[in-house]
Amino acid sequence: MDIMQKLTILADGAKYDAACTSSGVGRAGGQGIGNTAAGGICHSFSADGRCISLLKVLMTNYCVYDCKYCPNRSGSDVPRTAFTPQELADLTIEFYRRNYIEGLFLSSGILKTPDYTTEQMIKALEFLRYKHNFWGYIHAKTIPGTSPDLVYRMGLLADRISVNIELPSEASLQKLAPNKTKQSILAPMAQIAGGVESGKELVRYKNAPRFAAAGQATQMIIGASPESDYQIIRLASGLYRRYSLRRVFYSAYIPAVEDTLLPSVDTKPPLLREHRLYQADFLMRQYHFDPEEILSEEMPNFNPYLDPKCNWAINNIERFPIDVNRAPHEELLRVPGIGPTSAGRIVTARKTGSLGLAELKRIGVVLKRAKYFIIAKDQPAGLRAGKESTVRALIDPGVFSFGTEQMSLFGPAGGRLALPGAKDVSSIAEAAEEAVLCLAANL
Amino acid sequence: MPGGKPLAEPCDVIYIYDGSFEGFLCCVHESVYSRELPQSIVPEGELEPTLFGQRRIETDSEKARKVYASIPAKISKEALGLVRNIFLSCLKDKELATLRFLLKGYRIGAGIMQMLGEADVAVLLKAERHVMHESHLLKGFIRFSDYDGFLAAAITPKNFVLPFIASHFIERFSGEKFMIYDKAHQAALVYRDRKYEIIRPEHIEFPQASETEEKYRELWKRFYDTIAIDARYNPKCRMSHMPKRYWENMTEVKELLKQ
Ligand code: SF4
Repeated sequence: MDIMQKLTILADGAKYDAACTSSGVGRAGGQGIGNTAAGGICHSFSADGRCISLLKVLMTNYCVYDCKYCPNRSGSDVPRTAFTPQELADLTIEFYRRNYIEGLFLSSGILKTPDYTTEQMIKALEFLRYKHNFWGYIHAKTIPGTSPDLVYRMGLLADRISVNIELPSEASLQKLAPNKTKQSILAPMAQIAGGVESGKELVRYKNAPRFAAAGQATQMIIGASPESDYQIIRLASGLYRRYSLRRVFYSAYIPAVEDTLLPSVDTKPPLLREHRLYQADFLMRQYHFDPEEILSEEMPNFNPYLDPKCNWAINNIERFPIDVNRAPHEELLRVPGIGPTSAGRIVTARKTGSLGLAELKRIGVVLKRAKYFIIAKDQPAGLRAGKESTVRALIDPGVFSFGTEQMSLFGPAGGRLALPGAKDVSSIAEAAEEAVLCLAANL
Repeated sequence: MPGGKPLAEPCDVIYIYDGSFEGFLCCVHESVYSRELPQSIVPEGELEPTLFGQRRIETDSEKARKVYASIPAKISKEALGLVRNIFLSCLKDKELATLRFLLKGYRIGAGIMQMLGEADVAVLLKAERHVMHESHLLKGFIRFSDYDGFLAAAITPKNFVLPFIASHFIERFSGEKFMIYDKAHQAALVYRDRKYEIIRPEHIEFPQASETEEKYRELWKRFYDTIAIDARYNPKCRMSHMPKRYWENMTEVKELLKQ
């Protein structure tokens, strides 16, 4: 099979993996080719709007496992192929030299055994690092069941290594990925976490290989199994804590396979839900929210109309307004319309004088939202607005762009609020207005 | 710069200068010493018909040097960095905006850099962020072609980004020979034998791509098309992250522009 066909099959098999970031480690260039940028760099955006940073491919799409949701599961009838380690290394280098990519993201189906497959992957990475002297970004995914010493060797070659948690609960894992066990996933995760941590402490001589310097990540599929949003963010929060993960990625399930255990193939991917999960994840990582502040047993799913931060604000309206000229940094962060950047700028700018709305606007605060929640120089008592105008300003304008099929997910049965399904109303404006009334009534 | 009250009065004159950074600094000198705030400061050749009077400001390196030294001395090093960056930006009327900032800065001192809500400061910081953002985007969006071991790429940025992206590519491709040609500003970053320079060519014509080069372009396009998930098709989102004006120089999307 020629390289064009191989690339097509092995990129197609890797495309559902959500992680493509190249961030987390800055490394200067040396004698060879390549370096890494701590902030990460997107080299392109595909037609679905996702960042392309890494050459994201499988080593092979042969697989002895039979995960129900996977187009490459052993029982599926698809063309199979594998890169040779050298082919993959050459392709990576040629793409890298042309600045198409930031590096390589390598995962794989399982050819023969997890160990055999991992050895092939390691060979490819060794080609890159030692033959091509490549010091760009490498993210490698371990295969559940791989022996610890191979995981370790892979960690020395890669900048980031990850084990996919796959599904948000053990029960779903048993049902949909029968060859994988919670143990086979968590054991390497714990091993990697240990490796990353000890790597930080060791006094190392120059050029010593460093174990997965950009840390580890994981991803889970959303919408193939019945877990609530609350369960998912609690799981994520626990993973961040226990395994010192850098990132958890959420991947909206896209039905590619017909199976009675799975949502039917004409189910639309839950993109809005995935979007809300990333927002909640960001709140936990960057704004110090606890999962319990975002959702609860009583309200286990996201509000489709409000992003989680706005949702928190209107459910805690008695904490506002807060004084932008006095409030500590962490309180500023809780105001809708103030992000980490503008919060930092406020703290700097207010040293030189009291801030009013015009100054806040120039600083980059989204006043349309923030003004309902703050005290500023020219708004000393806060803005006394009705519930409805407050809610109207907070409604996420993006929500309707995800398509109406999403709404049913959060329909009357699902959430605490009886929100209208957008398909019941003739226009988006009407749907938004109905949502405003509904949310305001519940305040 | 003299102390005292350098408060400049708005006046009806337009300064014309040679377009260089030194020339601009001499405009600052003129404004400070004649205590006037011109209507505008325009590089020669870019002046549009106007009713205002014009004054040609000659470039004098001694004056320029004085003004240059006054910025870190009277304001701060950061302020000097900002002013230099703004001069490479595409901010409309950047000269006048910078002059207003400097006049205020001479009065206030280092604290001006913290006055993020002040209009005269915010305008510059926003323009600087634009330069940095465009430079960051281009670190990803630049596409090299391999011409017999020499890598070459063309860009058409709004800001003069070459100085901001140079070190990134030099570090990354330290063992290569390469060129990044900025068609919009008619300048090129050339790196070979571990040395670099920014040259100002009239025009650069790229050679025909070799068969191998074509092969990698095709592989890259195939990867690009394959990696998108149809069920998530979202051209609006793609466009907001990767504005169309960059596409003309990008192998994988160039042809989409024709459709
Ligand atoms: S291990 Fe499971 S998810 Fe991975 S390729 Fe095989 S069948 Fe697919």
